[in-house]
Amino acid sequence: MTFGTTPLSPELVSQDGNVMVLSMGPQHPSTHGVLQIMLEIEGENVVKAEPEIGYLHTGIEKSAENLFWSQAQTVVERMDYLAPLSNALCYVLGVERLLGVADAIPERARQVRVLFAELTRIASHCVWLGTHGIDLGALSIFFYCFDLRENILDLQEATGGARMHPNYFRVGGLNGDLPDGFTERLDALIEKFPGRMKALRTLLVGNPIVQDRTIDVGVLSPEDALAWSVTGPSLRASGIAYDVRKAFPYCGYESYRFDVPTRSEGDAYARFLVRLDEMEESMRIVEQVRKALRPGPVMTDDTKIFQPPKETIALSMEALIHHFKIVSEGFRVPPGDVYQAVEGPRGELAFYIVSDGGNRPYRIRTRPPSMYNLQALKGLAPGNLIADLVVMIGSLDPVFGEVDR
Amino acid sequence: MPSTQRPSITGLAIDPPSLRPPIDDARIERVDPAGLHARLSSLKAEGFTMLLDLGAVDYPQRTPRFDVVYHLLKLPPAAASASEIGTPERVRVLCGLPAEHPSVPTASDLWRSADWAEREAYDLFGITFEGHPDLRRIQMPADWEGHPLRKDYPLRGPARERSPRPAFALKSNVQAGAPPSGRTLEALQREKNA
Repeated sequence: MTFGTTPLSPELVSQDGNVMVLSMGPQHPSTHGVLQIMLEIEGENVVKAEPEIGYLHTGIEKSAENLFWSQAQTVVERMDYLAPLSNALCYVLGVERLLGVADAIPERARQVRVLFAELTRIASHCVWLGTHGIDLGALSIFFYCFDLRENILDLQEATGGARMHPNYFRVGGLNGDLPDGFTERLDALIEKFPGRMKALRTLLVGNPIVQDRTIDVGVLSPEDALAWSVTGPSLRASGIAYDVRKAFPYCGYESYRFDVPTRSEGDAYARFLVRLDEMEESMRIVEQVRKALRPGPVMTDDTKIFQPPKETIALSMEALIHHFKIVSEGFRVPPGDVYQAVEGPRGELAFYIVSDGGNRPYRIRTRPPSMYNLQALKGLAPGNLIADLVVMIGSLDPVFGEVDR
Repeated sequence: MPSTQRPSITGLAIDPPSLRPPIDDARIERVDPAGLHARLSSLKAEGFTMLLDLGAVDYPQRTPRFDVVYHLLKLPPAAASASEIGTPERVRVLCGLPAEHPSVPTASDLWRSADWAEREAYDLFGITFEGHPDLRRIQMPADWEGHPLRKDYPLRGPARERSPRPAFALKSNVQAGAPPSGRTLEALQREKNA
């Protein structure tokens, strides 16, 4: 049997005449990217769903092996293009551990990293909420969410110069200190946030259409969630309070007070509520960081891994040599391997980094949370309507840059 | 063809993971392919309910050449309550595989999440997982030749070796003109003859 000119894999073709094979995607607006799902359907009911990924495969892991340690960060940032700073944070933490400088990172740099990791979580959840709203037929949510996200992108732009991929974190600290006027803009955002969240909750949480479309849809039991390695908000909506920030604190998360929102229902509505709660918890952390921010250095003074300040180059021979070495051949990382995990907006994001002692990463294996979450769709979809499948995809929040890499 | 690219500085470590005590939270175990499945089963019985990730690494100068790396997580019994999360436990299982016909038993019968990760290791490294229900390429197109994440696979793909911009095409830490893996070399020859 073929679909157009594409031969279908035999396991997708049922011998039963009542079953139809339908290819949903890869160019389908509700798949949030280039996801193809080979569906076996009986009327409107899904009998079997087989997601096909790889349409956005860009070989990021291979590219990273051929770039300097500092350059590789720019490509790993682009895996999860909705939360690039989470990827950057995970990468720099891993490389710093390999270098053995993890304890030498200045306090202000650690605070600003947490600040942006949480802001990027809010921005990412904004995109999820807006597009999920479209899945459910609520178009106006999109504008409220993207307006809020725009404020966060403005802050990113102020730091690194780019809205989406500021490349602000560096191995050893930050690219530079926060710009003038940053804290005032941050304060404006902190002030605006509660009202905007209240509006979103009023629009959505009690909304009968949202509830009809999401309650009891795509129920993921805790056992299934563990078997599929689902992490992040989707796992916590199934009643398991695993959060990397609490379980394996990194970057000073142990010093901030925040709760891990959980639900026990495990359906799309529970995932929806958990993410809304998470946005507010993230803002709690942002407020604490804002209060704790003190002036200070933002970069380690180890000039073997970071360019010495520009003004010292004309005065110090050693600084000039370090500058030249770092620009022309990068820094080297002692051999070893490390598994560094952070809590990204979609779950446990981790890099298994291997260094052979050279100036380029030997291997960067990503643990892409979206890929594992999306895989659970194979267990979720059968027995449901196609319309509910759209809600399930949206509630799992995959990002295809990360699924395919 | 001579490359105008400066040679890259590669480290000399042939087996980097063996050179250092663990620097992360995980307990590290190294097992043989023959004992792998039994060890994974016993770890699962111990309470490692999550296979967080499965990846592979290629060390061409080492014997065995490939490492398959399993990252497992054990959640404490009280994980269901938000206040009592406790500290979960991590374990990392490494399994060395030979250069010729690298193959391990599948873990997808223990953890369903292994499905796509094993397909990816098969696709990008050419490692076979015995007993996998649906072992086919996942990231690369179905008719792709070679396994891109192997170290002897050129950065820009075998066809790019004939790129009109050789200096750019050779910008990789792969030795210039390294023979591509799999049947790709034959494929190039076929194309040339056709």
